[in-house]
Amino acid sequence: MSAPILEVKDLKAHFHTRRGIVKAVDGISFQVQPGETLGIVGESGSGKSVCQMSYLGLIPQPPLRIAGGEALFKGTDLLKARPSTMRQLRGNRISMIFQEPMTSLNPYLRIGSQLIEPLVLHCQKSKKEAWKIASEALAAVGISDPEAAMRAYPHEFSGGMRQRVMIAMALTTKPDVLIADEPTTALDVTVQAQILEILKKLQAQTGMAVIFITHDLGVVAGIADRVLVMYAGRLFEEGTTEHVFYRSHHPYTQALLRSTPRIDVTQGSLPAIGGLPPDLSRLTGGCPFYERCGQHKDVCANQFPKVYWPEPNHRSYCHLEEAV
Amino acid sequence: MSTAAMVVEDLKVHYPVRKHLFSPSKSTFLKAVDGVSLELRPGEILGLVGESGCGKSSLGRAIIRLNKPTSGKVQIGGVDFLSLQGAPLRKARTQVQMIFQDPYASLDPRMTVFDILAEPLVTHKTRDRQLLARKIRLSLETVGLSSRALKKYPHEFSGGQRQRIAIARALILEPKVIIADEPVSSLDVSVQAQILNLLKQIQTQFGLSMIFISHNLAVVRYISDRIAVMYLGKIVEVAPRDELYRSPRHPYTQALISAVPIPDPRLERERRRIPLTGELPSPINPPKGCAFCTRCSKVFDRCRTEAPVLRSVASAHSVSCFEVEKSP
Repeated sequence: MSAPILEVKDLKAHFHTRRGIVKAVDGISFQVQPGETLGIVGESGSGKSVCQMSYLGLIPQPPLRIAGGEALFKGTDLLKARPSTMRQLRGNRISMIFQEPMTSLNPYLRIGSQLIEPLVLHCQKSKKEAWKIASEALAAVGISDPEAAMRAYPHEFSGGMRQRVMIAMALTTKPDVLIADEPTTALDVTVQAQILEILKKLQAQTGMAVIFITHDLGVVAGIADRVLVMYAGRLFEEGTTEHVFYRSHHPYTQALLRSTPRIDVTQGSLPAIGGLPPDLSRLTGGCPFYERCGQHKDVCANQFPKVYWPEPNHRSYCHLEEAV
Repeated sequence: MSTAAMVVEDLKVHYPVRKHLFSPSKSTFLKAVDGVSLELRPGEILGLVGESGCGKSSLGRAIIRLNKPTSGKVQIGGVDFLSLQGAPLRKARTQVQMIFQDPYASLDPRMTVFDILAEPLVTHKTRDRQLLARKIRLSLETVGLSSRALKKYPHEFSGGQRQRIAIARALILEPKVIIADEPVSSLDVSVQAQILNLLKQIQTQFGLSMIFISHNLAVVRYISDRIAVMYLGKIVEVAPRDELYRSPRHPYTQALISAVPIPDPRLERERRRIPLTGELPSPINPPKGCAFCTRCSKVFDRCRTEAPVLRSVASAHSVSCFEVEKSP
């Protein structure tokens, strides 16, 4: 394996609220290689977005407090970097696209002036050069008349078109890492298929690393090389997409896969996971899944399990493994 | 036909639109639902699928008169529900109940669960405290909530639990038909499965009929007996569940099914997608002829001038497509 472009070690991001400390991210470690797509799967409140946004400095502190860990981008710890350094990296070397393409575009500005902004700011391009690059970027994401699109306002576009604009904007600076936070969740399936194809194509061309956050196991199965499964701020399982889908070792991953409706087969029954996700401000320090887990033991309530490696590059955090 | 739980005939919902804010006339119309006919059989779950803007929610809301239909008929138990007024209408309303997508918006935050569940009973059936309490406890039990919930307010519950309360409210008048509009779309997978199983369970337990509106074709495959696919205000294909997924005939249905990801890496990567080009046309100015002709890969001249109608291609399987008519 080559050197990772981004390596996060034992990241802890806690929200300090009136009701107590909410451990939104509690000891997450992962890395991404250039050219690779890392899928991050989890339900709402699992910390999958906060994890990425916290080390980029996109969440105000307070209420967020980074309680520990490192986030190394090309060897620089982003958690210790100065604000000016972060401004140079964000939207330049590390870009992000969000779920809601309507709220992430400025409704008052034409698409063109929003698209050239990162180029003028980060790459010292003249407005004319930037305009040309931006217009090519729009063509690359499949917008048929890029010049007209540059002069349009965001409200003139459909959701799918806006998300294309967001992708174009994120990629004009040729970033090393693209963080895509549920980029297709608000879109219709036929549009989602188009957007995923565009992302795959552009990744192959540029060799960037993609961190793809989603709750949709089907989307991850198609796009990710490796998958992280998160639950209640904790990492439960990590492995190649094949490991996680075919040889999953964690009861939560297994239960999640069983409870997902599928289009390719008629399922006679859908075994739901009982109960509800835990309240993050009232975690006890044990495994957060133990109340809903069909196979829990006494130790699960009090102690978070240590890492277990069922095979190289495949890790799982579950007490069941220790007994085996 | 008389055995059907509900028959919808040529239902149209056209919303008037102004060209500009100050233009005097409302001469143009947005045709959200443009001539939909369907039959809901007793004890079946009919899935109604389509992408955003296809009119599936407008149809569901028009059936229970939340939106005023422009024309058409909805027959429930031999009576035209849309022409009823006054007392007979109030009586008929108890037969059709609705479950909405957003359990945060569909429950009044200032009412306790008891009040939420008592309201329909007080309006339509009884004011007897004891009877109310018994009925409410029973319906809570059915949806898997304890009677401790009665004194709580909606904000004290999670999304999945709120949807259980909404289901209890829909059940409490013992309706014949339930219209569920995206009832699981705002829920996480693990909770979604709970609610889907609950909906299936109440359908069998009470023998009611359900229209399940959703954009999620995988969810619809799990829950429905029969499925209708909508595009731009019209139903383009109706078929029994397994037949629709095994051999979809309409080019739009084929493209739609091929676009849904499968949570299995090997299968997912080997799939051939049928790409849809272009954008969804505006329902204010839909294409002449077949609504899908602007994006269809099998389009030919006739499609652009003449609108196809639903025709039977197999038992209980109907498609509106000239290409399918050519080679049945």
